[in-house]
Amino acid sequence: MAGAGGASLWLGGCGSSGTKVKPVAGDEWKQFAGTSLNFISENTAPTSAIAANLKPFTDLTGIDVKITQLELSALVQKVALDFASGQGSYQIIYADPYQILAPYHKALADLNAFQNDDNLPHAEALSDFIPTQLDAAGRFAGDGKLYALPYDAPTMIWMYRKDLFDKFGARMKQDLGFDPMPSDASTWEDFYKTSQWFKAHAKDTGVPYGHGHMAKQHDSLMNDFSNLLWAYGGDYFNDGVKVGRLGSADPGEPLLDRPEALQAADVYRRLVSIAHPSSLGWDWTGLAEGFTAGGMAMAPLWHEFAATIEGSKLKGKVGYARLPRGPKRSANMYGGTGIGVNGVASKRDQRAAWLFVVWSTQRATQLSNLKSTVGGGTPTRASVYKLPEVQKAKKPPSKMPNILTTDAVFEAWRPENIGLRPKIAAWNECDTTIFTQLSKMLAGQQDPQACMTNTKQGFEKAIENAAKSLRKA
Amino acid sequence: MRSRSRGRIGVRALIAVVLLWTVVPLAWMVLSSFKPADKLTASPPSLTFKPTLDHYSALFGGANDIGGYAVNSLIAAGASTLIAVALGCLAGYGLARSHFRGKDHVSFWIISTRMAPIAAVVLPLFVIFRTTGLLGSTLGLIVAYLTFNLPFAIWIMNAFFADLPPALEEAAMVDGASPWVAFRRIALPLVLPGIATTAVLCLVFSWNDYAFAATFSGPDSQTLPIAASQLVTQTEIDWGQLTAIGTIVVAPMIVVGLVVRRWLVTGLTLGAVTGE
Amino acid sequence: MRRLTFPGRMMTPALVVLAALSLFPFVYIIVMSLSSVGLIGGIHFSWSGLDNWTRLFTDPSVGASWIRSVVYFVATVGLELVLGIAIALIVHELVWGKNIALSLILMPMFMAPVIVGLLGRFLTDSTYGLYAWVLKSTGLYSGDILGSTKAAFVAVTLMDVWQWTPLITLIVLAGLASLPGQVLEAAKVDGASYWQRLRYIVLPMVAGVIIVALLIRSMDAIRYFDIIQNTTNGGPADATKTIPIRLYETGFRFFDLGYAAAIGLSMLAVSILVANLFLKTLQRRGLAR
Repeated sequence: MAGAGGASLWLGGCGSSGTKVKPVAGDEWKQFAGTSLNFISENTAPTSAIAANLKPFTDLTGIDVKITQLELSALVQKVALDFASGQGSYQIIYADPYQILAPYHKALADLNAFQNDDNLPHAEALSDFIPTQLDAAGRFAGDGKLYALPYDAPTMIWMYRKDLFDKFGARMKQDLGFDPMPSDASTWEDFYKTSQWFKAHAKDTGVPYGHGHMAKQHDSLMNDFSNLLWAYGGDYFNDGVKVGRLGSADPGEPLLDRPEALQAADVYRRLVSIAHPSSLGWDWTGLAEGFTAGGMAMAPLWHEFAATIEGSKLKGKVGYARLPRGPKRSANMYGGTGIGVNGVASKRDQRAAWLFVVWSTQRATQLSNLKSTVGGGTPTRASVYKLPEVQKAKKPPSKMPNILTTDAVFEAWRPENIGLRPKIAAWNECDTTIFTQLSKMLAGQQDPQACMTNTKQGFEKAIENAAKSLRKA
Repeated sequence: MRSRSRGRIGVRALIAVVLLWTVVPLAWMVLSSFKPADKLTASPPSLTFKPTLDHYSALFGGANDIGGYAVNSLIAAGASTLIAVALGCLAGYGLARSHFRGKDHVSFWIISTRMAPIAAVVLPLFVIFRTTGLLGSTLGLIVAYLTFNLPFAIWIMNAFFADLPPALEEAAMVDGASPWVAFRRIALPLVLPGIATTAVLCLVFSWNDYAFAATFSGPDSQTLPIAASQLVTQTEIDWGQLTAIGTIVVAPMIVVGLVVRRWLVTGLTLGAVTGE
Repeated sequence: MRRLTFPGRMMTPALVVLAALSLFPFVYIIVMSLSSVGLIGGIHFSWSGLDNWTRLFTDPSVGASWIRSVVYFVATVGLELVLGIAIALIVHELVWGKNIALSLILMPMFMAPVIVGLLGRFLTDSTYGLYAWVLKSTGLYSGDILGSTKAAFVAVTLMDVWQWTPLITLIVLAGLASLPGQVLEAAKVDGASYWQRLRYIVLPMVAGVIIVALLIRSMDAIRYFDIIQNTTNGGPADATKTIPIRLYETGFRFFDLGYAAAIGLSMLAVSILVANLFLKTLQRRGLAR
């Protein structure tokens, strides 16, 4: 807690200095001209947008940046291997808070040193970053350091076929006895029944299934399930909000065998059982493709897929809402990531990399990402959303398709709605444990009880292993 | 006679099924690489489309130019092949012409290194490369590929040389040639097909490698199979570019592979079976 | 010191390199398996005795991976053997177009396994995959191929079979080509049917070659894991988590290098066993020189 307090003090002090430094072509931006840097990133929308438009950065700094984009699990492995190699080949790192920052934060540079260095350009106001995201993507366990700046902010929301809901809404309301239109009051039970209705009326609606899941034995399954876990009042650890937002070196006992968690697992199993059968083989990419192809009426998906969807034949036909609520709350998994500097790289490269970190998270870049035709960004600065042209883009037809989701996403980001998974050193093994056990449950090999008991044991073992290797380090 | 012609038809029908099974995936890959993006993920799959070179031009230009990857692939696979074949020729000849106690053990050791599971080899090599600074470099990949290419080359060249009657070289040596000259002038030219086969197979194995490159390569030493796997992205899998890369990766290997087809069997069975 | 003979000198450079490439890592992996290894912030080994080994023999998930590997191994190699022999027999009967047919059949062998895996994903995708569509419209299978445990296992098996059956075909064909024509002609004249000739003459005569094919394929089947890694990466419900996948995950996702080393050594032991069998066979056939 002390660390968090210190951090916010520091934030307050820095707000003013941040705004006065504008990225005008000055010496401090040009001091590393001629340097080559490597940026390793998950292949996400903002990175695609930046990769397609690197010229402004090269013009500004004279630094040549080569971008490697990878699928998330490949990225995590590659970054970990690079840290382990001690070479720092990738100076700029897309630091997933859970799979990279939490286990390997010791290998990331503390950005405070750069931000406080008068010879380097400063990041625009840090207080402009959405505060939860600055903590979740940038810090670890209140150690006072800043490891990354919020770079993107994909968040799981409820995507639904507005055209179908408009057309069949009245009939559904009559059949179901409630208004199926996604609203604040919608529950997962409603969601289930609505999905069932669509499945039963596939002939009329033209979509074969009500909804789909990203339930492949993959990180996606953990993300998808967690929404239910929290909605039904379960959590990974005690004080889950703190373990999620700030991270913890010692999270305590996993709570995954509590009745709420069991209920969530049971509900999730029921949901998947009526979902599009390909759900079991889909990660988020597959689910988005299935949804775009017209395979279902609803899907819990990362909001940044709006860009792809609005570029398809579903353009203008999709609505976006916060995810349904359970008995406890609505929980919307936050999947944002920070951009950080490889602490293993040479000091000079680190400082040059900082320039890219600053540039890629500044307002102007986030705005131009939003307009990019190849990606579409997910801004992490509150001020970007307030710009008049961004506000205008909230209504279709929009030149910034991701902005169509803004209302849903801002709802999802409210502290009571956001879903933050644990930020702990053992996360990679814990993640694998839970998505493996869930996958076994969905395949009918074990019931929710066994699934969650095994998951809990797996968590305990993983945490113990991590603690052992940390003690030795 | 009738049963004979019926048999012929049967054989043709069977071969048609076999060819369908083998060729369709490859043909679909090549076909898809020329499909416009919207047709690629059409459901159900479509066969009618206006061919486009978009995917190929996207691969050779823009943000993710695969030119560099191709060069890395060529250097890593090529250099490792050259070294393996050169050393393999010497050692293969030496092994074929020597008789010593424990020769069986040496042979066994050589071949067992080639059999080692890749996942098990990658592990210690990573730590060793970490210490020696070979990680992330093309040189590291060349060394890594030698772990399977070198024993392979030694073993196969041994098989090819062993098929040569030593009498030829002995005759040359009686005429005053040094052992080296006998090897260089007499034996080596006679096993040229063997050398070609060994080289082709070494090239194929290393060109196609994924596991080593995925673990050891850095930003400047990534190879084509890595480029292919990178097209699996968060927002979509770029099947157009992926099938195009697949075509680019497989085409040269099929060509060189079929060039040495006559001797392939000797190569692939490590000399245990000789072809035609 | 005794001077090396000429063949000895010829062998030296290669054997020195090979020793450096194999013995050194071998010793290293043994030491790793007896330690707890950390990598972040510099390599550090700390002695942990037989911890990793006791864990290896008591870890049910590794046990399950071994069983899965054995099933996968038997399924792929078994199918490849049966199909490979069958295809060789068919191609052998061809009078016209034999070369072209064989060239086409061999093509998958030259493909990078990672591409085979990715192409397999493309073909089995439930939304736009060609094979998924064919199966669905013929009513054979309508679920998600890589999403159900059995179908995914079958799919990755078939991908391997697609790629490597040609190898068996090639080897068996070489055996068939070397059969003495007169014996077969004589049997034909005596009125032996095709199946009789196959059963009593052809198969026994190529049996040796088939065993070589089997062993060669076995050794490679243990080595590679690219196809599974790029399709299901072990899922769903661990249905395709074979031992190399488990090893890679332990080593390079959890960075539990000591434990991974123990798993790796156990794999190495199995492959050496197979290599041994291979060599024995060669010696019996008088082929090891």
